[in-house]
Amino acid sequence: MISPNISVLDGSLYFTVSLLFVFASFIGYFIFLFTGSKMISKISFVILIAGFIIQTAAFVIRWIYAYKIGIDTPPLVDLYDSMVFFAYVIEIGYIILRIFYDFDALGFIITFIASAALAFATFYPLATSAIEPTIPALQSYWLIYHIMTLFVAYGAFAASFGLGILYLIKTGKSKNKDIENTKQKKQNRFLSLLPESAVIEESIYKVISVGLVFLTAGIVIGAAWADSAWGGYWSWDPKETWSLITWIAYILFIHARFTKGWGGKKMAWIAVIGFAVVIFCYLGVDLIIPGLHSYATPSSTPIL
Amino acid sequence: MLSKLNKFISSVKLAVFLFITIAVLAMIGTFINQGDTIKQYKTIFSPAAYHVLYWLGFLNIYDSWYFIALTLLLIVNLIAASINMFPRTIKAVFGPYPSFQEVSEKKNPKAVYEAIETKKKPEELKEVIGKKFGEPLYEKISENSDKAELYYSRNSIFRFSPYIAHISVIIIIIGVLLNFKYGFRSYTNIKVGKKTNVTYLLKNNKPIKLPFTIRLDRYRTTYYSDGIPKAYISTISIIEEHIRILTKNIEVNHPLTYKGITIYQASYGHYKPDKYGILIVNLRHIKSFKKIIYASAGKYYNSKINNIKFMLIRVVRKGKMPYFPYIIKLNNKKILNFRVIRVKNNNFPLIIARYKNIGFIMTPQLKTYYYSGVEISKNTYVSVVWIGCIILVISLFFSFFFNHEETWVSLSGINDAKKTKIEIISIPKKKFNSFYKKFDKKISELKKYLH
Repeated sequence: MISPNISVLDGSLYFTVSLLFVFASFIGYFIFLFTGSKMISKISFVILIAGFIIQTAAFVIRWIYAYKIGIDTPPLVDLYDSMVFFAYVIEIGYIILRIFYDFDALGFIITFIASAALAFATFYPLATSAIEPTIPALQSYWLIYHIMTLFVAYGAFAASFGLGILYLIKTGKSKNKDIENTKQKKQNRFLSLLPESAVIEESIYKVISVGLVFLTAGIVIGAAWADSAWGGYWSWDPKETWSLITWIAYILFIHARFTKGWGGKKMAWIAVIGFAVVIFCYLGVDLIIPGLHSYATPSSTPIL
Repeated sequence: MLSKLNKFISSVKLAVFLFITIAVLAMIGTFINQGDTIKQYKTIFSPAAYHVLYWLGFLNIYDSWYFIALTLLLIVNLIAASINMFPRTIKAVFGPYPSFQEVSEKKNPKAVYEAIETKKKPEELKEVIGKKFGEPLYEKISENSDKAELYYSRNSIFRFSPYIAHISVIIIIIGVLLNFKYGFRSYTNIKVGKKTNVTYLLKNNKPIKLPFTIRLDRYRTTYYSDGIPKAYISTISIIEEHIRILTKNIEVNHPLTYKGITIYQASYGHYKPDKYGILIVNLRHIKSFKKIIYASAGKYYNSKINNIKFMLIRVVRKGKMPYFPYIIKLNNKKILNFRVIRVKNNNFPLIIARYKNIGFIMTPQLKTYYYSGVEISKNTYVSVVWIGCIILVISLFFSFFFNHEETWVSLSGINDAKKTKIEIISIPKKKFNSFYKKFDKKISELKKYLH
């Protein structure tokens, strides 16, 4: 029996409400893909912003609630909060990107990822919204900086994944266009909604760069934290190791671009595959390999 | 031969190979538990599998010789690649810059070219073009003066940021390797009230001696109201040559550092209870004298009544209660005539011994000894790592977001200097769509001004 997280007290009801908004926005963007109506994309964007504002309010409510029950660390540590925050970060990312570029077509991927994360948080039975007291290992001022920087990185990589898919759609379809010019009028309209492939390419690079700078900073902050909590700045904990693997994956991408001039489709594919590594690093490691970063029940872990 | 070797050592292919190999090895390390004891491994793997994994070094992969060798090779690769590229970068930043002629012959795929003809004079044009591209880095006017060449460069200084990023990675790796060589990470368990100066290395459980002694004065766990642990606190004293130097509480996230060695709270637990509460009763004045003494087997304890001492002796008798095999012995005279009384609804047997006016009653109270597991690390050259990390983050930012843009402008008189031909070549270091758009905008503005 699935019991969704809808408690007024700890703010999870408002996250669930924001899920409805983000999902509505996703449907709007999806319709936009087929109709091409600017009006619909604008409405979807407004709905997304409304969802985002509700989520911000939910965060504030949740933080205040945590503070009231005597927990001084921000509610960011368990699986529920983590998923909700992930959705939050990629929404911000998209909103910022949307201000600089005309990226309406990206909306459906971003809102899909955001609503998937929110739905996962709301309905996944192991991700309860109840705020548990923070275990001693996480009682540190490093916590908030560590999580914030890494989530910005995760969000940026999610956006690059979306952009990579758009690029592949754009280039894949425009080839067909030349061959079957007359038949695919409908698809042409869909393609015309996407930004120019060169614009997508540049934004993939830039978004990944932002992600990589924040990933580096997040790993460094994590190391600094470990130095004051774990007996050393690097312990080869599975999460640490996977974050290094993620870092290497994107560093390779940057080098392939600079030295071999890789671009276009190759780069889009790397953006898509790189995100799979990110997802494994973010969720896979916690769910498969036990380690110091697991979102486990606090009582089952010895100390760290 | 040497140039071939240089080419191989500095190649991107080698870097890619090294990065991927390191990533794959790191991945293997996350799926096989690292640094467990042989006993633990033998319960997980079959003996044959264990030997293969041991031989491959997969059980301590991050300290294995090949992992370190690959890292060192990566450093060599980074240095070699940087040195090979460096002269070109120096030239691009400080000159001598290539001329318009050279650039146009080279046919760089990133280059954009534009040619405009106008009636305006070169002197006038220079000023207008300068407004678009900035201050020229050099200006060359040929002898017959109907030909002029201008060179503009933007963000050239950021060409160095990738080098700084690579150097910072080298600094980090050097710091890590120095720490690996001169530092250590170890753990030890200390009983409350006891001291130790021996600690066991995490990687192979070998004991090492510390330059000072650690005493655990106290251990306690504090809890939230719902029973979840809030803090694990050990009170630790540092003792050097029998003198207590300092005493401090350590907690998770709040370690203690002394003489470059840091002591971290890592775990806690308790030993099997070995002390039993003995209730001592003065049988003549039952109300006036009652006392519990915690006694372990084989030691004399003073009952505080007439200075009579007693001892518990372990007698192993199979199939009996664990509390049976204790005999109360006084002043080397064994008293064996103790009686066992079972109290109803209580499984715990009451054992009573009597000597003159003193009654000894074994109580169900056990004294457990807590120990605190501490990790003791010597992390040397950490500051080297931090400096490298800070430089890395900053230099990555500058390498990614600043694009070196070069522009060559050639002005030449045609039709007997009645007209001037403007030729512009612009080359970005990074092929950005936005660069070309900006270029197009500048050109269209220039054209608008000329017509």
